[in-house]
Amino acid sequence: MSKLIWRRLALGLLTLWLISLVVFAAVLALPGDAATAILGKEATPDRVAALRDQLHLEDSVVSQYLQWIGGVLSGSFGTSAATQQPVSELLADRVGNTLFLVFVASIVAIPLSIALGVWMAMRRDRPVDHVASTVTLVLAALPEFVIGIGLVLLFATSVFQWFPAVSLLPPGEQAWEHPEVVVLPAATLILAVTPYISRIMRGSTIEVLESEYVTMARLKGLPERTVIWRHAVPNAIVPAIQVAALQLAWMAGGVVVVEYVFSYPGIGAALVDAVANRDMPVVQTVTMLAAAVYVVMNLIADIATIMVTPKLRTAAR
Amino acid sequence: MSNDDKHGWDEYAITRRQVLQGAVIGGMTLSAGGLLSACGGDDDGGEGGTPAQSAEGNLTTGGVLRVGATGGGAKDTIDAHRPTVDTDIMRCWNLYESLAVRTPDFSELQMLLAESIEPEKTPKTWTIRLKQGITFHNGKPVTADDVIFSIQRILDPKDPKVGAASIGYIDQNQLKKLDDRTVRVTLKFANAGFPDDLGQYFNAIVPTDYDPENPVGTGPFQYKSFTAGQQSEFTKFADYWEEGKPYVDSVTIIDFPEADARVNALLGGQVDAIDNLPAAQLQSVKANPNLRVLSSETGAWQPFTMRVDQAPFDDVRVRQAFRLIVDREQMIQQVLSGQGSIANDLYARYDPVYASDLPQRKQDLEQAKSLLKQAGQEGLSVELVTAPVFQGIPEAAQVFAEQAKGAGVNVKVRKVDSGTFYGDNYLSWTFAQDFWASRVYLSQVAQGDLPESPFNETHWKEPRFLDLIQQARAEIDDAKRKEILHEAQTMQYEEGGYIIPYFSNIIDAYGAKLGGFVEAKCGFPFGNYWLKNVGFLA
Repeated sequence: MSKLIWRRLALGLLTLWLISLVVFAAVLALPGDAATAILGKEATPDRVAALRDQLHLEDSVVSQYLQWIGGVLSGSFGTSAATQQPVSELLADRVGNTLFLVFVASIVAIPLSIALGVWMAMRRDRPVDHVASTVTLVLAALPEFVIGIGLVLLFATSVFQWFPAVSLLPPGEQAWEHPEVVVLPAATLILAVTPYISRIMRGSTIEVLESEYVTMARLKGLPERTVIWRHAVPNAIVPAIQVAALQLAWMAGGVVVVEYVFSYPGIGAALVDAVANRDMPVVQTVTMLAAAVYVVMNLIADIATIMVTPKLRTAAR
Repeated sequence: MSNDDKHGWDEYAITRRQVLQGAVIGGMTLSAGGLLSACGGDDDGGEGGTPAQSAEGNLTTGGVLRVGATGGGAKDTIDAHRPTVDTDIMRCWNLYESLAVRTPDFSELQMLLAESIEPEKTPKTWTIRLKQGITFHNGKPVTADDVIFSIQRILDPKDPKVGAASIGYIDQNQLKKLDDRTVRVTLKFANAGFPDDLGQYFNAIVPTDYDPENPVGTGPFQYKSFTAGQQSEFTKFADYWEEGKPYVDSVTIIDFPEADARVNALLGGQVDAIDNLPAAQLQSVKANPNLRVLSSETGAWQPFTMRVDQAPFDDVRVRQAFRLIVDREQMIQQVLSGQGSIANDLYARYDPVYASDLPQRKQDLEQAKSLLKQAGQEGLSVELVTAPVFQGIPEAAQVFAEQAKGAGVNVKVRKVDSGTFYGDNYLSWTFAQDFWASRVYLSQVAQGDLPESPFNETHWKEPRFLDLIQQARAEIDDAKRKEILHEAQTMQYEEGGYIIPYFSNIIDAYGAKLGGFVEAKCGFPFGNYWLKNVGFLA
């Protein structure tokens, strides 16, 4: 199994490198550069020339890329074109904020959606199941920003004023020092991912509940609780793990929209801004981070799947 | 240049504005002591002699003011001479000051740090005299050396700042200190409009040892902290020269890249005031008893820019036809929710030289079709490049495209992001849009309508027009200058490359516990962003 992990890790690194090439090319392909984007409306030719010079934008494309990748290999993510700060310094607090948001969302969303899926499966085709199915379908179909705006209207501005509408943090302080700013963004993410996981969980649980060994377990008189949690769920959970991992990985990117809606000071908002500024080092670093999360999540999901599947577990030895 | 503003005309505010207009006449003096201006008048029309009066009631001293500002991000700056976006401009107005500036009602060029800016024999040489006793936040008095340093810093050929586009015609080699409080400035050509070009927020005076990392100015607030893309904190400058101001102990300016988040923060009580309320939300905010709205008419304009040197717009008949396509009233309703006033393809509406006698242009599709036919451009198809660089701009493009169908013109709207819009094709798009704040006529001409203008987006280079502008710049007699500039505006009105459908309103929204907000014809929210005028009600 360790061989498998090493192989997957190596493939992951290759993936990250390819992504860095694609993102670099994509940012270059965008019209305009950091100098024109930063100067915006005030971009007179004199000022653009002066700033291009200052930001070394006149260097060749290859040398710009090599410079960046060389920096990454030696542990430096470069200097932001917009702020002239090291990217690591610029993003440090924001990475913490985003990870905290995704962490809070996932520790609620995963158990919640698994429980919900099982619950729906046990009430299959009853009215509550239909209601729950419809609600999760609707939530799955709604874009996250619509969910976010709905939550703001309901809990922050128009109906109740329980939570802050906008996640303002004093500079230098982190989200966990002000948990109230995390509530609505996390709730938005939870509502966005729960439908997928719970519907898969419902489906696979139903399948397992129809299997012969569950019938056997029931026939031998085991209490229903034991049948479900000891026998059915461990087998039904495999597809849910895969979906949950994909959803968590999605959060690393989907958080962009949610952070934008709430002005949450995370890397998502920084990415939106950096693309607008054509701030290559920041765009590269944030996309690399998001891609790394994808790779790691998928790896974890595969390992978890192997662990809960005896056939694979033994085969992998 | 730049900046922003917004829409609307709000009946709720009319009474206040009328009162203010009445109050401001005559009340605006140029001396330091007489700055009743922005403080406004109360309902009986009296201009407050005591600074603690506002239209909303008496103001107290103290408190922390949290302001939600439009936009902001990693490229935010606190450098006095590099303001680009809304949040930068707000910071600049409050930390720094220029020698003079147009008052929020745009009626006068108010002297700030300068006591006077006067021409010597001709408007080619000017003497700037500083007020006595004004100090920077660090206690150092403002001197002639600081003025010279600031001008040189703005014009630095290796690193020109924003203001280089407005006062680039200063002859740097001939800046001369006459004494500690007096500077002689020689221009490369005579220009009666020099004080207005100089009196812009981006031409602030900073001390000779200015360091943007620890910024020092003369503004009503002094620097405490600044985090790009998040917020800045300023505290009251105790030795500010204007008696009694500012009212609040500190201000926190918070960035809001997203308009809905800004409004939500106000509704949820996370900020006390916001600038640029989207016009579409005016009614809902107004209905909230805890909030107030002030919608001011401004001289801010958002033109469509047609390049007069490129097909199809190199034929004046096409330009004329396009100007006749616009149903201006409908555009104001659809784009600005009614929060704007009609324009006539001319800018600088508040300048006394404004050619207000030229007939108001109205939609005339038949005439437009006939002009296009004469030009051989029936069934014309053009691309209009738009970007969300300012509220209402992409929407105006859509409305124009709809209206153009009536004249048989197919306008393909191409919406790009701001980075693309200001990229390599900036100022070269054949047909695009832009936005400008209020300016006096000659300053605006220098920005965008002369061959050497930095932002000549229509590529307008008529020799006769240039000739008229040069005559006007050298002319000290106001009446004669007005006559010359009337001819210049007539040329623009008949042949120019701008389509200017409206002047958009600016809408400030703020908690009912605040007072001191004034109308902002200047095109900047909160009346020149002057938070020094804002305070908590007693």
